[in-house]
Amino acid sequence: MLQKLVGGLIFSGILFSQTTANPQFSVIGDLVMDQINDSPKLSSSGVEIAIQGNVNPFARADVYLHKHNDESPIELEEAVLTIERGLPLGLGLRLGKFRPDLGRINKVHAHLFPFIEAPTGMKKVLGEEFWAPTGVEANILLPLPWYSNVSVGYFDSGIRGDIHEGEGESHDLEQNHDHNHGEEKQDFALSGRWSHFFDLNDINHIEIGTSGYLGDKNILIGADLKYKWRPNKYKSLTLEVEIFQYACWDDGPEDLYQNNCTGTYYGMVNYQFNKSYNIGVIGEVWVHQEEDEISPALFIGYSPVEESAVFRLKIGQVNHFYLPGEDKIKQDLIVTAQLIWSLGPHKPHRY
Amino acid sequence: MKKQIILFTLLSFCFGKVRVVTSTTDLADIVKTIGGDRVTVTSIARGNQDPHYVEILPSYMFKVKKADIYFMVGMELDLWAKSIINGSRNRHIDVVDCSIEIEKMEIPTGTVDARMGDIHRFGNPHYWLDPKNGKRIAKLIAEKLTNAEPKSSDLFRQNLDAFNLQLDKAILDWEKRFVNLQGKKLIYYHNSWPYFSNFFGLETVEFLEPKPGITPSPAKLNHIIQRIKSDDIMVIASESYFSDRVPKFIASKTGVKTVKLAQSVGAMEGADSYIHLFETNLKILSQAFGVEHD
Repeated sequence: MLQKLVGGLIFSGILFSQTTANPQFSVIGDLVMDQINDSPKLSSSGVEIAIQGNVNPFARADVYLHKHNDESPIELEEAVLTIERGLPLGLGLRLGKFRPDLGRINKVHAHLFPFIEAPTGMKKVLGEEFWAPTGVEANILLPLPWYSNVSVGYFDSGIRGDIHEGEGESHDLEQNHDHNHGEEKQDFALSGRWSHFFDLNDINHIEIGTSGYLGDKNILIGADLKYKWRPNKYKSLTLEVEIFQYACWDDGPEDLYQNNCTGTYYGMVNYQFNKSYNIGVIGEVWVHQEEDEISPALFIGYSPVEESAVFRLKIGQVNHFYLPGEDKIKQDLIVTAQLIWSLGPHKPHRY
Repeated sequence: MKKQIILFTLLSFCFGKVRVVTSTTDLADIVKTIGGDRVTVTSIARGNQDPHYVEILPSYMFKVKKADIYFMVGMELDLWAKSIINGSRNRHIDVVDCSIEIEKMEIPTGTVDARMGDIHRFGNPHYWLDPKNGKRIAKLIAEKLTNAEPKSSDLFRQNLDAFNLQLDKAILDWEKRFVNLQGKKLIYYHNSWPYFSNFFGLETVEFLEPKPGITPSPAKLNHIIQRIKSDDIMVIASESYFSDRVPKFIASKTGVKTVKLAQSVGAMEGADSYIHLFETNLKILSQAFGVEHD
């Protein structure tokens, strides 16, 4: 009887403590209007649900679920435990299913892009929804006189982007709802990134990084640079450049050059000129053995109430080239408008 | 041997200081005053920056990495501080919420949600703009510095007493010199000033923001213009980081005077310390209202 009473008290205590330390819940939804040449299309990518909070004084957990706007079930995007404090040598750990620290862009959720959609070449390499395997990643701040962070991770599956799909279809811009087909079970994957951050002064900052990845049948190296000038709360200029060189093979690294090699690059300039508006340009390049793609675009963002609702417009041209020795064969004019909204603390902010 | 002792003493004084990081320049200035030459202190937000929104930069984590104490404003003003502290991976840092001893104003009741704008659930967090709260903050800071370096407790106590004395004198002086400001009606851009207005007897009539953090709408501006005309309001005051555009538009329609006030140490010329912050703001308001002061 006494045991039951004590057990009941402990159980009710646990329940009570859980209700007093609820995690933060956020929901992000959107409405997208795409017009490729003359055919407009209204769509929504569904909703992203974020559940975030501290597990204890040393660790936090972040869970991201995505319900696409179709018949597919709710998809687990990320479920990660991050140990932020308490480990020796200033070590940090991430464990679970998450987006590894590979380049700048892989960790960025789509609703944070001022240019609406991830650069095409990056999606072709990393997959439509980017690389989010299950594994463990350690990171450490190096004892240098500036911020210098090294991350190294081991994962159960590697990158498997659109480049591995039917090559003839790779430029089909309407294959938007093929979720996570960018991942395929492999034996292992290793990834790492070394990044540095410099305050040039109070309002000018530079971040540079180099990344590497080794999978069972593929390899990637990357470099990125971000410069930001932010003289006050409502004005900023951001310059961002990122490069990936990617190669994969079927039989072994020796036939690397007989198989799939690609380079993908993007550069962006974004200018926020007052509380509500930003404008920018992005140039994307994807270089492949059989097809190249160069896509310049202009984008505009309008955020009337801080970052809880954002309207974005992008006007761009996709130029497809076939090699070798052939001229431009196809051009698509793409106009995309996006309304994105958020409930809770996880916002489509512009930082 | 004597040389070694002198060298050791010098080294301990040069490198053995309490390393402090604060969220705002106001807290940093008080830490500097209490800690004297026994502390090194860095503020994350600049004085002219909106403390609600600070971009989390890796270099801030680097600053916090080796700090002994982090003083935050609390009350959800500097929520960004948590990410910086966690990102620093500093296992030993003492994180201090300076709002714990404060008598809080404007704690919302009922359901709190985004309909109310950028509202703070635990009350208005701009409490350092009441000089009496400056004394409460200083007391807490002295306690925490003493915990970090007990051997300097006498110094911290002396500096705290000197700070309190200086602030008490300044308060008496302000109450005398700026007595004519009492009861003056004004409009603020954002609701940063309830503690300041309450202490100095100013009457807040309106805010330009319809809700905290929400840009003034045309309807709100029209309402403000009518209110200024009907109630004969003379001054619109805004924080240094807001654009002049809206206040100047209203001024062009009504003739109201527009001024900028220093919401933090370093926000404007003259506001170079916690005590000078009040002196600067009171002088600006006196001139705007055209009332006498010495």
